[in-house]
Formats: sequence, C-alpha cells, structure tokens
Amino acid sequence: MRSTLQQRLLPLLVPGLILATWFAVTSGDDFTAQVLVPPAAVLDSFNELLASGELADHLRASLSRLLLGFGIGSGLGLGFGILLARSALVNAFAGPFFQAVRQVPSIAFLPMLILLLGVDEGFKLAIVAKAAFFPVALATHDAVKGISKGWLEVAAIYRLSPLRVLFRLILPATVPPVLTGLRLGLTRAWIVLVAAELMAAENGIGQMMEMGRQMFRIDTVMVGVALTGLIGFALDQGVRLAERRLVRWKAV
Amino acid sequence: MNAIIDPRSVQADSAPAVGGLAIRHVHKGFDIDGRKLSVLEDVSLTIAPGQFVSIVGASGCGKSTLLRLIAGLERQDSGDILLNEVPVAGPGLDRGLIFQDHRLFPWLTVEQNVLLALSNSDEAATDKRARVASLLTLVGLDGFAQAFPHQLSGGMAQRAAIARALAPQPQVLLLDEPLGALDALTRLRLQSELQRIWLAQRSTMIMVTHDVDEALFLGDVIVVMQPGRIARILHVPSTHPRDRADPALAPLKAEILSLLHAG
Repeated sequence: MRSTLQQRLLPLLVPGLILATWFAVTSGDDFTAQVLVPPAAVLDSFNELLASGELADHLRASLSRLLLGFGIGSGLGLGFGILLARSALVNAFAGPFFQAVRQVPSIAFLPMLILLLGVDEGFKLAIVAKAAFFPVALATHDAVKGISKGWLEVAAIYRLSPLRVLFRLILPATVPPVLTGLRLGLTRAWIVLVAAELMAAENGIGQMMEMGRQMFRIDTVMVGVALTGLIGFALDQGVRLAERRLVRWKAV
Repeated sequence: MNAIIDPRSVQADSAPAVGGLAIRHVHKGFDIDGRKLSVLEDVSLTIAPGQFVSIVGASGCGKSTLLRLIAGLERQDSGDILLNEVPVAGPGLDRGLIFQDHRLFPWLTVEQNVLLALSNSDEAATDKRARVASLLTLVGLDGFAQAFPHQLSGGMAQRAAIARALAPQPQVLLLDEPLGALDALTRLRLQSELQRIWLAQRSTMIMVTHDVDEALFLGDVIVVMQPGRIARILHVPSTHPRDRADPALAPLKAEILSLLHAG
C-alpha cells in the first residue's frame, strides 16, 4: 500500500518543487511581475481565457489541425511503410531518400513550406503530416519486416486461410510496433504544430502564446506552455494505454 | 511399400496402414549468389507406416532440406516424394512438422496455439477444446492451457509445439532437431516423452538430429547422411520402450560415428 502511494506521489515531487520555488521567488521583490509572473496571475489568466471561450477556440483550432494533419501523415506513413517493406523496387528507389529526409528536423522545412504554401492552413497541415509520416512509416516498415518467415511456415503447414493469417498472424505481429510509431508520430506532430502556430497562424494554442509574447502577457504565454505540455502528455499516455491493452501477451 | 526397411519392432496390428513414404531419386539445389549449390543428390528412401526413422548427419548434409521437402515447404528439382503412393504437392495436414524453435505465436495462449492447428476441422468448438485438453495432458502441460508462450520454459514451449503438431492427427510427424535447443536434462526427459507419445500415437515419425544417442534411443531405423546423399541405413534390433544402456546399441553407435567422421 505504502509503496504504491509513494509511486503515485513521486511523479508530483518535481513539479511541486518547481511550483514552490516559483511561489517563493515571485513573492519577493527581486523580479518584476512582467518578467516572471506569479503563479496566481497565470491561474487568473487561465480562468479568464476559459471563461471568455477564447481558450476553447484556440484548442479547437489546434486539435482539429492535429487530427487532420496526423490523419493524413500517418495514413500515408502506413501505406508507404508497407510498400517499403514489401517491394524491393520501392525500397531501391525511395529507401535511401526516405532515410535521408528522415534526418532533417520537421521545423527546418517550415520556411520552405511557408514560401510554397503561404501562411494559411496548408503549410501547417503539411508540416504536421510530415512530422507524423516518418515515425509511422518507419515503424510500419520494421513491423512488416518483422513478421517471421518461421510463423508464415507454421501458417502454411496448418493450411490457415488468408483471413486467419491476417487476423491471427499479420495483425497481432504488426499492430504493437505500429502503435508505438503512431504514438511517436502523434507527439511529434503536436510539437511541430505548436511551433508552426508560433510562426504564422490566425488562431491556435501557438498563436495564443505568440500574441501573449507580443503584448507582454507572459501569463498567457505560460498558460500556453503548460497546456502544450499537458496535451502532449495526455496524447502520449492515451496511446500508451491502448498499447498496453492490445499487447497484454508480451512479457513486461 | 517395399521391404528395404523392416516393420517396426513393436506389435504392428494396431499400427495405421497409412503414413508410408517413398522418396525416389530426389535432387535439390539452391541458388546462392547466382551459383547453384547442390544439397541433395539422388536420394531414395522408403519408410513404412508407423515407423520411427532417425536421420543423422553433420550440419549442411541436407537432412533438414529432406524434411522440408517431405513437409511440402520446399519443392524438389527432380524425383518423387510419395505419401501413401500419392505425390506430395505443398504442405498438408497429413504431415506435421516440429521445428527446433517452437514457433508458437506469442500473442496466443497455449490452448489458442494448438486450436489454430485445428482451424480446418469441422468439429464443434467444444470437441476441439476437449481434444486440445487431452493433447496437453499427453505432452504433460496440464494446467498451462491459458499460459502465454513467454511464460513457459523452453522445454514446455516445445511440448506445446508437439501438441500443436499432433492436433490435426498427421499420418507422418516430421521432427527437425526438435530437442536441439534444449538443455541436456530436459532433452533426455523429452526423448522419453517422444517415445511414449509415439507408442501412443503410432504414426510415422521422422526425426532429424545431430545427436547419435538420441537417434538410437528413438529410431527403428537410422538413416546416416553424408553431404547430399544417404551413406547408410541401419536397423535397430531392440524393442520399445528402449533402454539407453542396451548393449546392442553400442556397435551401432560406433558404426554411425565412423560414418559421420568419414563424411
């Protein structure tokens, strides 16, 4: 009992310490409130943004961009990953290029994409899709490659129907690694989206932070920072939960 | 079936009349880096129904390839492989194959893994489950039906693989170094288990092994292979269940070892 309680409280230790230090530092006169706002001001700002509906609008804009961009990127990644694993031809002409482009951080493509697609929705969706595409394609490729020839021989020996091979072998063998790729893709897409919104957007959580910075409302910026972290954390944990439910057979 | 191999030494009245194999002038080669590598050259062998045949030979002599040809996982370049006088064309449920690695599906329980081998059976689900339960009893895995493969030891996983291979009631059970990856003690125990299972099932069994003692303990017939060909076929005179210390086995062992060294 005690150890589980300790395990539950332990993750709160570091945020608690930071919050306490923040309280202590801002209660003195060493920092002006414009540079380092006190926690209470951030909370007030959060409540204000929530009450006015402004925050909900920003979140809606950001999350719908994430959903659409991630949907496009991960769908293409799934298809391309399967092709890359199954077709020697695709691997021969697209493999090395894929591996090279993968090394370039998504954010490095932002200036180019803005020039090409303008500052509207297009470039944000493109960059989010790109960020999701690569981890998903890579994980799918590895998952399909990882289907052991030995298992396929077992399927041949017991004359399993194609449908049974799909549901008893191919999907169970590939879904767990693909889910890991989707999780990586989703969190990367989120990070890149917020960065893109900081650069150019009409709304969204990143744009909210950028406007806060321009108007010297550091409290608004900090609401954005905290929410970005919390949403990323929630997305990651959500997919992890799905992974754990689907992969209960694995030795932990 | 012809008589180049004696009928097995246990009483033959209850032995199945099916499961006889004829291998005639089989050739098989593989392309490795564009070069043709011959693995089997003019191999002929006749195996009577219900016989336990051990195939021994050094690594790369083609013994596993021969087994994979019988299983239908590979196709010979020329020659015939006949099961009950019908040519083998691809894998079939009349032949089971046990590999050195258990090849259980890690996401399925032991029971689900064995049930998978019964996918093509028309039996009712309850009958299938009852059959799986009795097979798990046969291989000594009572109480492990709901375990996942990673929860089993190597020996237990191989027992589960044996149960899976037996489930479709194959006429011929092919064993490709089935105990090769196990520790010495587990190995001895499973050799005795295999003998017990064979006596209970009375199907034809063909086992490839590196281990001459294992070959002699289980086989009615020992096929000694040298690269690409059969060097000699030996008949083991003693009956089953067999005593490892049987003095009749010693001269056979010496003969096999000298053949293996010569190859």
